[in-house]
Amino acid sequence: MLRLEFRDVRITYTTQTASGRGEIAAVDGVSLVVEPGSTVGLAGESGCGKSTLAVSVLRLLPANAKVEGKILLGDENVSELSWGRLRSVRWTEASIVFQGAMHSLNPVRKVRDQIAEALIIHAKGVDAQYKQESARTARVNELLEQVGLPKAKGLSYPHELSGGQKQRIMIAMALACDPDLIIADEPTTALDVVVQAQVLDLLTALVRDRGLSLIMISHDLSVLAATCERIVVMQEGRIVEQGPSLKIMRNPQHPHTQALASAFPVIGDLSSRLKLPTYTAPNAPHAEPGAASVPHESRPALAARDLSVTFSARGSGAVRAVDSVNLTCNTGEIVALVGQSGSGKTTLARTLLGLQKPTSGEVLFEGTPLSHKRKALKVYRRAVQFVLQDPTAALNPKHSVYEAVAEGPRLHKLDGDERDIVAAALAKAELNPPEKFFTAIPQELSGGQRQRVVIAGALALEPEFLVADEPVASLDASVRAGVLALLLKLKCELGLGALVITHDLGLAWNIADRVVVMYQGRIVEEGPVEEVLLNPQHEYTRRLLSVVPTRESPVATAGAPLREQALENDAQDGVR
Amino acid sequence: MSNALSTQDLVPGDHGTDEPPRASSWLKYTAMKAGGALISLIMVVLLGFFAFRILPGDPVRSLADGRRVSVEQMDILREQLGLNDPLLAQFWRYLTELFQGQLGYSYTYNEPVVNLIATRIGPTVLLTGTAAIISVVLGLWLGQRAAWRRGSLFDKTQTGLALVFWSVPTFWLGLLLLLLFGGGLQWFPTGGLVTAGTTETGLPLIWDVIRHMTLPVITMVAVVYAQYLMVMRASLLEEMTSDYLMTARAKGLREDEVRTKHAVPNALLPTVTLIFLTLGGLVGGAVTVETVFSWPGLGYLTFQALSAPDFPLLQGTFVVFSSIVILMNFFADLLYRVLDPRLRAA
Repeated sequence: MLRLEFRDVRITYTTQTASGRGEIAAVDGVSLVVEPGSTVGLAGESGCGKSTLAVSVLRLLPANAKVEGKILLGDENVSELSWGRLRSVRWTEASIVFQGAMHSLNPVRKVRDQIAEALIIHAKGVDAQYKQESARTARVNELLEQVGLPKAKGLSYPHELSGGQKQRIMIAMALACDPDLIIADEPTTALDVVVQAQVLDLLTALVRDRGLSLIMISHDLSVLAATCERIVVMQEGRIVEQGPSLKIMRNPQHPHTQALASAFPVIGDLSSRLKLPTYTAPNAPHAEPGAASVPHESRPALAARDLSVTFSARGSGAVRAVDSVNLTCNTGEIVALVGQSGSGKTTLARTLLGLQKPTSGEVLFEGTPLSHKRKALKVYRRAVQFVLQDPTAALNPKHSVYEAVAEGPRLHKLDGDERDIVAAALAKAELNPPEKFFTAIPQELSGGQRQRVVIAGALALEPEFLVADEPVASLDASVRAGVLALLLKLKCELGLGALVITHDLGLAWNIADRVVVMYQGRIVEEGPVEEVLLNPQHEYTRRLLSVVPTRESPVATAGAPLREQALENDAQDGVR
Repeated sequence: MSNALSTQDLVPGDHGTDEPPRASSWLKYTAMKAGGALISLIMVVLLGFFAFRILPGDPVRSLADGRRVSVEQMDILREQLGLNDPLLAQFWRYLTELFQGQLGYSYTYNEPVVNLIATRIGPTVLLTGTAAIISVVLGLWLGQRAAWRRGSLFDKTQTGLALVFWSVPTFWLGLLLLLLFGGGLQWFPTGGLVTAGTTETGLPLIWDVIRHMTLPVITMVAVVYAQYLMVMRASLLEEMTSDYLMTARAKGLREDEVRTKHAVPNALLPTVTLIFLTLGGLVGGAVTVETVFSWPGLGYLTFQALSAPDFPLLQGTFVVFSSIVILMNFFADLLYRVLDPRLRAA
């Protein structure tokens, strides 16, 4: 077996900046040992150097990277290997499951050929049998079975598979040449909770059964705790804390670890209910006593009456994305709409916004049915604003912050000075001082700031209600808390109601008043957050809850027997 | 518990069978694209008739040009050519002839247009086909090498050179080559398909044709290979940062295998459309080159028909040229589907 050691590793990228050549240290003096058969989790936010460190093991860094220190794989220094030796080390001694299986597979080749390719390259010595096609076919079938996929799936192209299936293919590929070490770089980031739990279970079982070493990279401590014995927390290229997983989860010492841990609240933990590091709602269980609660009038704002949306799918008749949904959202209330990918929650949101015509039923706004006439829609869209998942994609990269926020007021011909409106909206979204952001373009802002600009754009129209689709799914842990705090604060201080669509039950626990669980286009359960999340009635709600960290088991795993479940559950993988 | 929650019908493509559904939609797709091509062809046929009636110029007058012809004789000629009939009657004749495989009768050559085109199409296909193959192979090969070694001396000189050739007018380059290698150095013949009055057969004949082809082919290639190079370079550059290349490298592939097995097949997708689009155009571009080198092909024929003007002949070449473009687009659609599995589902 193979021991991996980083000995005072420093990795710098040479970049061309406006002020001339610059050097950025992505990894700054890391020493770490991964003993044979052990499992290590690397935690940290984007840009902390964890992925750089991971790919340096196979010397896969881009040409502008410089490595100092020693990376020892077994007793060989990776930096000193010849190209030939390096190529034979790659995949046979260590393999990588890359982030975003969506893009890590070649879109124009069948997945089974991509798995077999690794076998062909390394068909030397003991593996010489894989020069024969029959041996390869047998091996690929065996690998597919190990990751719980029927062998016919191997004939698919990547786009024909769901996110979870693609990640299984990546895992099968990583196992192909029997490596001693597997590096999994955010293997579940783009997957929803149920599929995430399946993939984590699969990895855990494989590592356990084969005695592999595993390095797992994630920003989510509960994911790491599910698969790894030890967690190493990185910040700005340095290791800031390390220790046994449960200890890190339960009792983080370093402030950065604490921030990471608090970003994913434990459901049932009253200290995270309606409370975020920067803001606490007046009615939170752990609110400061004496914090004046300003009661806001709660009247029905947005409602769906018997709403159905049917799409005609090719070959298989009609798909009911939304099926007879009744839903009322009030002002001064945050409703969390939860469900897996493919549960119809985004279609419901689009229909509520008037972006999608319902097949039957109606959308009511303040008691009046929503008309699909242009003029009525325009008035409606001012009152109900939309916040999208990915602020980077939602903002025009060429427009300044001012332009982005001013566009709405201009279109709706709002009274008053445009500059004042924009400044006020930015201030409400906590971008202070607003003038400083006027000329900035999205590229110059952080992810959290970008999402605040999107929210400011919505607030500029003084809406009655916000619909937010996964508003923090693409954000880092630390900024995530800030954006959620903003939504909570807007509700408590301005009485702005919101419908937040999410697959993250922790988010609902963090900020929502009510939770609505959607499954196969239907609402299967709804009620106050405490009631639904602590005492779930419907089977599906229980199942969702079983895969997220709770007080009893603060790790993200289903913990259920893998083999029996894997095949059935796969039908449920949604692509995101 | 999963039994209660089976969601078989939620995920598209997961209905019962595990085999990805394919092939069945092939026929439908092809039929759809063929239908589209057919509609375009019909439009071309209609346009081909009416467009040339709007052109200024009197064919009879130009036929009579330089000869002593009386007004009465010209009227008789008009009557013979059917030019005095109402437009709709002429159109009806054009259509019925077309269905019989006829494209009318050339005024200037006194021969059926179909026969003229049949004898000229061979040399054009030979010339443009050769030029197309050479420029596609050359352009794609240089393009992918330039992209892979972006910023290198090879990249800079190749893209620079290609752009210079691209911006040169075809006729000018043709004339220059003709003067230099045909007239001055006398390495190559200056025009035609074969040496006039040759009686050679077999290999010597082929050699003769090759010598005659060299200059026109070089001219065509020089002007068009740049766009293949640039598109291939651009699309490969786009692919070069893709994650699946990192996967391929991590698997232990050699750098040139990463390029040829993974990057290039993906980069080819946008390039193929362009290749087929320009192949159609290349045939049209033959007009200039064939005229400069007096190559007895469709392009030269079109040039002569234009200078008359010889309506039936123009109509004929127009229909042929347009059909080639439409056919090439049709092939591009089919090939694109073969290359990109993602399109097969759509």
